Amino acid sequence: MNLWHNFHYAVAMVLFCIGLYTVIMRRNIIKKIIGLNVMETSVFLFLVSIGYRKGGIAPIHGPGADPSRMVNPLPQALILTGIVVAVSVTALALSLVILLYRQFGTLDVSRLFREEEEEAG
Amino acid sequence: MKRLVSLLFIGALALLLLYVVSRMPPMGEPDNPTATRVVPRYLEKAEDETHTPNVVTGIILNYRGFDTMGEVTVIYCALAAVLAVLGRERRGRIRDYVELSGLPSSVIVRTMVALVVPFILLFSLYTIFHGETSPGGGFQGGAVIGASMIIFTTIYGLHLSSVKVPQRFRSPLEGSAVITFFLVGVLGFFGGGNFLTYAWPRVSEGLHPALVTWLTVLVEVGIGLGGAMVLISILFAMVREEGADEPLA
Repeated sequence: MNLWHNFHYAVAMVLFCIGLYTVIMRRNIIKKIIGLNVMETSVFLFLVSIGYRKGGIAPIHGPGADPSRMVNPLPQALILTGIVVAVSVTALALSLVILLYRQFGTLDVSRLFREEEEEAG
Repeated sequence: MKRLVSLLFIGALALLLLYVVSRMPPMGEPDNPTATRVVPRYLEKAEDETHTPNVVTGIILNYRGFDTMGEVTVIYCALAAVLAVLGRERRGRIRDYVELSGLPSSVIVRTMVALVVPFILLFSLYTIFHGETSPGGGFQGGAVIGASMIIFTTIYGLHLSSVKVPQRFRSPLEGSAVITFFLVGVLGFFGGGNFLTYAWPRVSEGLHPALVTWLTVLVEVGIGLGGAMVLISILFAMVREEGADEPLA
């Protein structure tokens, strides 16, 4: 079993499940969004730790920087993209939440569904 | 019942994920497939091909430039969607956080924020301009500028911060990331290459390579400014409160 060597990956997976639990089980929408962010962060952690190498140095060329010892720059570049997309999604979700709260005065999902049924019926 | 099913599902997923992870190659070994396939090519050639010592910046802005341009468009679209949902802020129609919290606005907090914000802005400029030689870049610097405005707005209120960063200054700059990226990409044609090639073919024929570095810095500055303005506009649109719409007495 490599679980001990890969405990960064394992932590990322546990974080992912915590985030998924929050998204499914919590009834407050803001907490659901926080759960979504935790899931995103766990994926970032997973990818960045894939790029790690033992005794590695930052992937910046310069005096004394040996390219064969640098960590993997590709996941870092990908994750920069991912973070920006995550921020965009969060901003849009939060603005929709603000609108929902102004309309219904509650952030509880089950109460929101009830309000919606009352309005329809 | 629903709770039980969800817990079972998440537990099964966790076990599956942990099993997969435990069968992956040990983290950080130099002979992992992640470290031996594509990456040595990037690490060895990036400095000659992109003229940026920081390989991450080289990958983001040069090798995967098209991808990053799409990403810049994504934050611009996010801003457009937020503004479509919430509307732009109107000046002078909100009380600040310190007033809303019920505590008297503390002199210590105000003084500290006023002292710290210029240094945060200086740091963000450093992050943007040194993105090609050290960790950092346009997105990071823009996020730092946005964070400094978040501090300022929570303490001093929307009115003062929208005087500092007025809307007529922000709204043209919000698209600057997309526009700079596109213009620099089009310059690739004049360099004799394709879109977003940073005049590379001409450089290999003897054009001064510093041009590529300067174009990279230009894109970084555009992304930094654009990202910062997008973040500030999203913040202002969210901070504006419907209930506080009456002008302050």
